Order: sequence, then C-alpha cells, then structure tokens
Amino acid sequence: MSGPDPERAGLDARVLTWMREPGWQVDEERFDALARELFAFQFARCPPYARFCRGRGRTPETLAGWREIPPVPTGAFKELALRSHPAERTCKTFRTSGTATRRRGALHLDTLELYEASLLASFRRFVLPAAASGAAPLPIHVLAPAPDEMPDSSLSHMFGCVVKRLGGVGSGFHAKGGQLDRGPLVAALAKASERGTPLLLGGTAFAFVHLLEALAADGRRFALPSGSRLMETGGFKGRAREIAREELWSELEQALGIPVERCVNQYGMTELGSQFYDSVLAEPGEPRRKLGPPWARVRIVDPRNGEEVRPGATGIVTVVDLANTGSVLAVQTADLGRRLGDGFEVLGRAPGAEARGCSLAADQMLAGDAA
Amino acid sequence: MKVGERLERLREAGERLAERPPEQVLLALGRVLDGWSAPRSAWREALARALPKATGFSEVMVREGLDRGLAPLTGAALRDVVARELGDGFAGGAPLAASGFPTTGVILAGALPTPVFPAVLAPLVLRSPVLVKTSVHDPVTPAALARSLAESDPELGRCVEVVDFRSPDDAALAAFLEADCIVVTGSDETVGAVARRARPSCRLVVHGHRVSVAALGPEATRGEALAAASEGIARDVALWDQLGCLSPLAVYAVDADPEAADRVAEGLAAALDGAERRWPRGRVEDASAALTAHERAEAEMRAATGRQVVLHAGDAWTVVREDDAGWRPTPLHRFVRVHPARDSDGMARALAPLGPQLAGVAVAGFGGEASDVAHALARLGAARVCAPGALQTPPLGWPADNQGWLTPLARLSSRELDMDPPGE
Repeated sequence: MSGPDPERAGLDARVLTWMREPGWQVDEERFDALARELFAFQFARCPPYARFCRGRGRTPETLAGWREIPPVPTGAFKELALRSHPAERTCKTFRTSGTATRRRGALHLDTLELYEASLLASFRRFVLPAAASGAAPLPIHVLAPAPDEMPDSSLSHMFGCVVKRLGGVGSGFHAKGGQLDRGPLVAALAKASERGTPLLLGGTAFAFVHLLEALAADGRRFALPSGSRLMETGGFKGRAREIAREELWSELEQALGIPVERCVNQYGMTELGSQFYDSVLAEPGEPRRKLGPPWARVRIVDPRNGEEVRPGATGIVTVVDLANTGSVLAVQTADLGRRLGDGFEVLGRAPGAEARGCSLAADQMLAGDAA
Repeated sequence: MKVGERLERLREAGERLAERPPEQVLLALGRVLDGWSAPRSAWREALARALPKATGFSEVMVREGLDRGLAPLTGAALRDVVARELGDGFAGGAPLAASGFPTTGVILAGALPTPVFPAVLAPLVLRSPVLVKTSVHDPVTPAALARSLAESDPELGRCVEVVDFRSPDDAALAAFLEADCIVVTGSDETVGAVARRARPSCRLVVHGHRVSVAALGPEATRGEALAAASEGIARDVALWDQLGCLSPLAVYAVDADPEAADRVAEGLAAALDGAERRWPRGRVEDASAALTAHERAEAEMRAATGRQVVLHAGDAWTVVREDDAGWRPTPLHRFVRVHPARDSDGMARALAPLGPQLAGVAVAGFGGEASDVAHALARLGAARVCAPGALQTPPLGWPADNQGWLTPLARLSSRELDMDPPGE
C-alpha cells in the first residue's frame, strides 16, 4: 500500500486548491470549515490524539470552532508516531535534530504534495515576491546539507525543493559532512559581487555564523548587488556561540552587503507542514513581524489557562496548520511569542526557572527542536 | 565606589582581621548566626519582609523557608563544623594549619537566600575578607547579612563588601577577579565564563547547578508511612518553589508492587495540594509557565497512548506518574515526576547518569536496607542523604558538590619542624 490515504483525497484536494490560488485571502469561514473537517478526520484516524482530545472534553461534535482544537505539544512527536494514515502509507519521515542522549521527534507523511505546495507558495510570497511577477529566478545558495546527504531533515528537503523549483542557474548547496563548503560558496559570492547579479542565501542561523567567521578569518567582505537577500532559520541551541538575531543580521550586512531589511527569518519546525516568515520583503516599510499563509493560523495562548492572550501580551505560540493533513493539525510549540498586528513575533525559549534557582531545570532539553 | 576600590578596602580590613585570634572571630560569627536563627530574630523578620518583592516568592513560604533553613545555622553548629573540618589547624596548630586567602570573592546566583549565609561566612571563618557579588535575583540577602555583621561586630562588618554589577560590565568583573580566591555559583555558562577569565594563580571553587530526588522504599509506599513521607517531600518541593539544588524533582517508588507508583503519585498530589494552601507558590515567569503547560500536555499525550502515565495537577503544582524509571527533566515550580523502580538497583541504574549532578536524596521506607541504599546513593555522587522533609534544612557545612565547606577556601600548610627527616 502506498500513496496518500484515499479517504482523505477530497480534503487534501480542497486544501491544495487554496494553496495554489494566486491571491491569498484570509477567509475565516473557509479555514474553520476545513479545520473542523480535518480535525474530525484525524480524531477518527489517530486514536491517541482522540483520547487526548476526549481528555480535554473536545470531540468533533462538541467543537465550536477551530480555536478549540486541542493542540499537541511538540514533545509528543518524540514519544509516539502521530499519524492519521496507515503506517504502511508513510512515504517520508522527517526527524528533528537530536543527540545520542535525546529522543528525536518525527513527522510521518503519506504525501509530500501539501508540504511542498505550502512551502513554495509561502516562499515565493515572503522571500521571492518578485518571482510572482515574472522576474528572472535568483541563484539560491544554501548553507545546509543537500537532501541526499540528510534525507530525514525537513530543512534539507525544504531547501532542496526551493532550489529545484525556484532557484536560478548556479544554485547549490554549500555544506557537507557538517562543515561549510566555503570555497565554492565564497567563489559564488565573489562572482555575484563582480557581475552585479543578485542572489539568495539560505541556511541556518548558525551556518551564517560559521560563514561570518570564515570570511573574517580570510579578511574578506563582499558588496552583493541590490536585490540580494538572505533567509535564515533555526537557533543556536547547543552551540558554543550564541548571538542575537539582530546582531547576526548586522554583521551579515557588513560582511555581505545585504541590508538588514532584506534579511528574513523563517519560523518553522519539523512538526509543521507550513512555515512563517518575516514580513520585510513582502511588505517593505511595514513593521517586521511574522506572517504565514492563510491555511496556517497562529494563536498566542496564556500558558496558565490556554486562553488566547490580548494583542501584545506574551504567550505560547500555537499553530493550526491545514498542511498537516496526515498527522495532527494543531501543534503547541515550546516558544513564547506575542501578536503584532496581523502577524506575530517569536520571543523564543527564554530561560525560565533555572535562572532563579540552583536546580538543573534543563529547559533546553524540554524544548522542541526547530527544523 | 568601584569594585577595585572595594577590594582594596577589604585588603586593609583583612590585615586587621588577620591579627584577631581565630577563636575570637569564630565566636563573633557564631553570635551573628545565633542572632539570625533565634526564634524572634529581627534580622530574619526584616529579610522575610523584603524578600517577596525582590525574589517573587510568596511571603508565607519565605517565612517558612527562612525559619527552617536558618534553624541549623547556629554558633554551636559553626564550632562543630570548624572542629570537624579543620581540627587543630584552625588555630594554626600542627600538623596541618589552615588559613584564608588575603581576599575571597564570592559570586552568588539565584533567588534562594539560605545558601548566601554559608557562602559569605565561610571565608570569614578563615579570616579572609569577602567581596560578594549579589545575584540579580536576590539583591537583598547579602546586604542584610553584611548589615548584621556590622551591627554585631563592626570590624567584621568592614570585612564584607557587597557589589552588584551585571555580566556585560567587563571592567567590574576584571576587578572582581583580582580577589585571591574566587567562589562561583551558577550555571555551567556562568562558571565557564568566570573560569576563563580568572587568573591562573587564583584559587577557583565552583558550585554548579544540581538536582535532588526522593526515594521511597516498600515500607513508605502505603498507609501512614506514605502519608508522612509525602508530607515531607511536598514541603521539600514547596519551599523555594522547587528552585533550589536541594529541591526534589523526582520521586522513585522503589517497590516490586506495580501499583506503588500510583499510590505515591496520589499521596504526593494530595500533599502538594495541602502545601499550596499553606505556602502558596510565588511568581512564575512566562517561559516557565510555558514549559509547565508543555510538559503537562506532553504527559497527557503519553497517557493517551495507553501507557501507564497519569497526570495529577492543581493550579500551582503538578505530579506525573511515569511508567518507567528513566529520568526526565522538569520545568520546576512544583512539578514532580514519580517513577516506578522494582528495586534499589533499578533506581540506582536510573540515577547513574545524574550522578555528577546529584545533590540530595530524601530516603524513607527501606527498613534494614536503608544504610545500603544510602551507601549506594553516596557512591553515585549524592552529597546528602536525609529523611523526607529535611532536604531544605541542610546542616551547616554539608558537603555541597561533594566538597568540604571550609577546606576548598583554605590555604593548608603542614608543620614538620619537629619531625625527624627520613632515614635519620
């Protein structure tokens, strides 16, 4: 048995239709209808999730709206296979990063179609908005391993898909065996600077720190042409060096000539089929905030009672993502955030109790892993 | 006044302190400790009023925590510890004499006030003046202790300087690290940062973050013994909102009976509920609340898979009955996991990876095996093995981080003049 679950085909088709529509409209009614239908499907197909929901007094019959769908904590993806399709239909498993002593979370998919459709539509809008108007594709240089080197990494798969579908001539991957492949990357930067051909750099935040260190060691700086941009994702968890995101962008601006306002942070995680992006390229001049596609909605909830907090207040970032048709659509992250206008801001996983005491809370061991 | 100037002032005060007989200093420090632990201590009362606002702990809990935590810190206890650790060496006697460094710098961390007392007083016992960097989470206790010393013995008061600077202040840190002995408490990051900056000639004494647990043997997993043990563990958890290194994060139900862990979890849940009414939990940061919500939901999810995981939760406490002995971190703030273990060997195997970070273990219900269990826990690395309810009242001089209280801060010198050279 292979391929996506045929019982979900109609639902998948309607979500895909939304993802492929050229103009995005926030449509509360449409989202609510699809979310409730998907919740009912997953409730019926994923017994642990159904028991979890019943424990919270939520069933498809009692649900008043999508905001009431019980979110599963990202940590649960480390504990059990949260799939709403028969195991034998799994075509791809993405795993969170981890170490020998830490369990890895897993997202089991019976189709990549929704994941890729959501990714490409969002990436075009938030990172390559000019592409939608027919501009020539930018070469995309990725500071992460190619998908064939890390087949279970959603990050590598994401960049592989983006390079294949949206990348211009000369695109490529510049990390191998856990190391930055700096020679070809620096050559690409030099070529772009000399010829005045803009490019897109993508990778993890920590890979960009490595790039900065490599350029500093070589005493090199570039002035990449206007139109160049950068997309980084992930954090510094478990790394020897941590720097603030704004500081990273500022250093990258000095080293590469890509202005801070053309640096986009992507907020995503292995457990989600959709991602969120800084608004700076899609809505230049507007305040920086995280925006996502209309088929993925974010709630900022009070950790003490699960209720949505008032705009501007801090709470847990909780996502309801229609791209997660084969797993569970509502996910509670370990991140704090706050609503900013029509978007939100991620405040990250600030150290909590450990700072006030001398007990070893190991907050970082509790947090879900970014993609 | 800058940190360097304070250190210089301490050096001068230290010269006068060194001229005082050690016994006289010990008596003076003992009087201060007796003043703090006395039933109606005005110093303790003032601190109990100031701490809730400064630290976020509830006032009722602070009062209970100070009453219990300071009770063992007496002049008599001080003399006992000194005699035990230093013997005749304290007064410079043969064969091994102990003295303090010209100056000692103590870097404090966290919001708990009780560890401040032994940390600041230890160098003074050795007649080493002490420069104290307060924790950002408790700016009041070191100053209160310094005031009490000055009131009781002005010359001793001049041997304590309290400074407060934040980590980006490189100049202040560099000046601080000019002290001859540095005691640093904090996370691995903090300790590492200080170690990298400290001078090679400086004595560096490190106290890292630690964890504590409780272990209930078959005689304490049922009936009245369970109720008593649960009350004690709940108090150990509730005091300082489980933020201290002596706060138990997990309870091992060491019993072949598969229902023992259920009973322990239920008993502990009831006791924590009672503790919340007596000693309400204090402030919880958003990040900690988020972690608690996440871990509770994660436990619910595991329970939904049919595993024998049970979540017990109140507004301000959580107990998760786990289905195996494997260690899981907790978000603190009164969040306890109860693990089943068939026998003490199983518990020891589960705790083995924690060994280097194990501070205290509260033990009950092992009957004739208690001594063996305590021995096994000590071999794993536990610095204290005590009864439930006693974790937050450590005796003065308990071997935090498996070290002595005074000897790590002392310069030891052997006196061999009256010994014959070998071979003669």
